[in-house]
Amino acid sequence: MVIFDKETIKQLINLYESRKIGLEGNIAKIIETDDKEFKKYLETCIENDNENRRKRLTITKQIQTQNTELTKAKQENERINLELKAALVQAEEAKKIAEGDLDLLQKRTQFELIGLIVKIALSVIVSVGFITTFIYLYIITIGGDTKIIESSWSNMFGILLTNSFSIIGTIMGVKYASDKQDKK
Amino acid sequence: MIDSILLVDDEDLFHLVFEDACSLLDITLSLQSVSSADEAEKMFKEWYNNNNKTEDRPECVFVDLNMIGSSFDGIELIRRINFEYGNHVIIGIISSSDEPEEQAKAVKAGAQFWIVKTDDIEPRLEDFRKDFNKYKNGKTSFKVYK
Repeated sequence: MVIFDKETIKQLINLYESRKIGLEGNIAKIIETDDKEFKKYLETCIENDNENRRKRLTITKQIQTQNTELTKAKQENERINLELKAALVQAEEAKKIAEGDLDLLQKRTQFELIGLIVKIALSVIVSVGFITTFIYLYIITIGGDTKIIESSWSNMFGILLTNSFSIIGTIMGVKYASDKQDKK
Repeated sequence: MIDSILLVDDEDLFHLVFEDACSLLDITLSLQSVSSADEAEKMFKEWYNNNNKTEDRPECVFVDLNMIGSSFDGIELIRRINFEYGNHVIIGIISSSDEPEEQAKAVKAGAQFWIVKTDDIEPRLEDFRKDFNKYKNGKTSFKVYK
């Protein structure tokens, strides 16, 4: 316990009355006195201090609550950001797969078309070859004049062979171009 | 009233809450706060090396369970105070956690009480204050205030 002399007590009371400056904190709780006026002064100081502490406690608790909420919000934001990043990566992967699929589909269609063209072209070539050869053989068999059909047959075969190589060349060219694009 | 208290908690805002609550509830007039388990251990080490003067030590120690910036947690601090620096204090945990497993570990380390830290801490501190003499006289076992 602390005991103040009369002069100090007087100074403390005067200071409070003139400038409203009083003792603060737990020190006021450990001062002993018989002076009624100083007792009242001490009670006022303790009451003021308690009032200030109550206010501070309320504000501090509010800040604490806000801090907790902010921390939670920050954690939630971080979680959402991570989820967004993961979703973005997934979307990029899906995009790549879709692009690959589309490319594959385009190539497949292209090859199917080329295949069809080749089949039709070869069918026409073979058919014309057969028909011409058949007519030529027929004329030889019946002993007719083969001069016209002979030159027609050789011309026809020349043209058909040229066309065949031309088709094969075109197909090889397309295939080579496709391969080169894939490598890029 | 408790003669003197040491609070070990990494949250500076809680130091203010605890100080004001202790003053308003007349729990103690002498409160010291530190922010890490290492600081608290250093203090106890000095007291222990200084011929173990019990009058220099706080009468009661409140320790947070997990402290950022500490090399070890609150339970380890309690264990060290009890088993390495000669005990002589009433010591327990003050934490927002209420895990029975952690509480069992705290009991093993020598904790005497566990106060659950929430927004409204005053009623728990008031209950603890009422029980304090029982702790002092060794008449009460580990208790959780929640």
